[in-house]
Amino acid sequence: MALIETQGLTKHYGPVKALEKLDLAVEPGIIGLVGANGAGKSTLIKILLGVIPPTGGRAVVLGMDVVREASEIRKVVGYMPEHDCLPPDVGATDFVTHMARISGLPRSAARERTAEVLRHVGLYEERYRQIGGYSTGMKQRVKLAQALVHDPKLLLLDEPTNGLDPAGRDEMLDLIKRTGNEFGIAIMVASHLLGEIEQVCGFLVAIDAGHLLSAAPITTFTARTPVLAVEVEEGSDRLAAALVGHGFKARTDGDCVLVAMENEALYDAIRDTVADLALPLVRIQQERRRLEDLFRDPAPVAGNPQ
Amino acid sequence: MNAVTRTAPTGSIYDLGYRHYEGKRRGRWWAVWSLYVEGMRGVWGFGRPMTAKAAPFILTGLYSLYALIQLAFSASFSQAIASGDMTATDLASYHNYFAAVSFFMVLFLVAQAPELVCRDQRYHVLPLYFTRALGRVDYAFARLASLTTSLFLAMMVPMIALFIGDILMKPDTLQAVGDEWPKFLPAIPATALGALSLSAIALALSSFSPRRAYAAIGLVAYFLLMAIVPEVIFRVGNRAGWDWSDKLVLLSPTNVIGVATDWFCGVALRITPVNEGGPPTTLGTDAYVLAVVASIAVFTAVLLFRYRRISA
Repeated sequence: MALIETQGLTKHYGPVKALEKLDLAVEPGIIGLVGANGAGKSTLIKILLGVIPPTGGRAVVLGMDVVREASEIRKVVGYMPEHDCLPPDVGATDFVTHMARISGLPRSAARERTAEVLRHVGLYEERYRQIGGYSTGMKQRVKLAQALVHDPKLLLLDEPTNGLDPAGRDEMLDLIKRTGNEFGIAIMVASHLLGEIEQVCGFLVAIDAGHLLSAAPITTFTARTPVLAVEVEEGSDRLAAALVGHGFKARTDGDCVLVAMENEALYDAIRDTVADLALPLVRIQQERRRLEDLFRDPAPVAGNPQ
Repeated sequence: MNAVTRTAPTGSIYDLGYRHYEGKRRGRWWAVWSLYVEGMRGVWGFGRPMTAKAAPFILTGLYSLYALIQLAFSASFSQAIASGDMTATDLASYHNYFAAVSFFMVLFLVAQAPELVCRDQRYHVLPLYFTRALGRVDYAFARLASLTTSLFLAMMVPMIALFIGDILMKPDTLQAVGDEWPKFLPAIPATALGALSLSAIALALSSFSPRRAYAAIGLVAYFLLMAIVPEVIFRVGNRAGWDWSDKLVLLSPTNVIGVATDWFCGVALRITPVNEGGPPTTLGTDAYVLAVVASIAVFTAVLLFRYRRISA
């Protein structure tokens, strides 16, 4: 069963097209949802939660329709909003316990789960203090705890690392990874930072201005690609020209020459060409594609197979 | 210290790791009940700092003070009545108590109604509720129920004090209970209706501002205007001969609740002659009761409308 499935999902706010005919099917795991600010990430999450109705198309979460079965979905989904959502004048324990009860947990179970989840996210003695006195990192943990307290099947995290320093960011990402991998909770993480997505997610959904850019396992983006990078200390122009003369697709990128690898003969050809031109060779390496390439046009090497 | 970065178990008996929840899950009514309980705690400041408890408890105390003073001096009052210096109607009783000191209950609303609805908007807690089993209508009704119950309890304190005081004053306690009970009983539905009306008004108005201060100012303005403006228009209209101007008195929440309490307690309308500025004579007590019911309907509708539209 697909975790999330959408067909022609569209959301317009008046003239603004937040989502435009989104077709998506993702399997359980840790899913990254990337896009610039305003690309439609939060809108998609809110539609999946059944909080806002789509203008057109349909979406199914855990086999349930977001319009007709919204209340059923909400029972098994945890949501961590992007913005602040914590009242300052109560303790984290009181607040998370209250949210657990709103999620349907009986009194004693709510208290037990709160203690467990707060410990899981790394809040100890300070959990009895008022939330108003917490640091941003602690607040983010409380937000994650309230989303996790009723043991959801799917977690929707909207910009979970917002406002965190690098150390806090790494801890939060680690926490997300642990939660997703060790405890078998499917997670969708929305972020505008590709680096974060790369670190924790197994599957990537990229949207741009409401349109689906791509949806595929993360390995397809970062896998070795048939492009060789040849770095020389000088004369990269001459090397590229010579390789093109030998019938290869090559172009320069600073001191590097990027060559599309079409057959094994390329290695020999590079070796011979470098020797012929007497160039100081630094390295020959297979290029990894990076996620940034997704949003960069055109592709690094002309003729590079997608 | 930090379990987040600790991936392998370090042998600590405290770190049980994450465990799935297999137990019972309750539905929407449990969520509404939980929100109701949280609202009650919020109104009275339980689980909050001491400063949050000050306003509700002090105002309830001040509201009850009149009854307590009367009880403290009841011996001299009964002497005065016996000697003819005072009449029994001068004393506070179940039916006229609210009308006499309603000011403190208005302050109670100004202080605590924004606490219930503005806080959740200000700190964006609403999305957390609406992405759970709780609906928007559920939220509005749970909040209304919390405030109504709290206000009802606060308003019943002096009633119960008067009841107990009057009983203890009499030599034959059992006989006294029998005498007082029929007078006390109608005060309960009257107080409940009044509490519901005031709560609906206060919550509906407060819900339009996420800022507590603005909501409080709005409430003060509403209650003041409704207490003064109809009265002024009525006096002017009385001279000018506008026959509709007396109906405006029905807009004043505290006035109508005061008279409606009379209706419940079976006391005739406390009519002061028109030239003394009292309630107009053309309206029967029934009209005041209907006005209370109408205010509940209107302001509950406003509250529901607000929460239907509010963005989450």
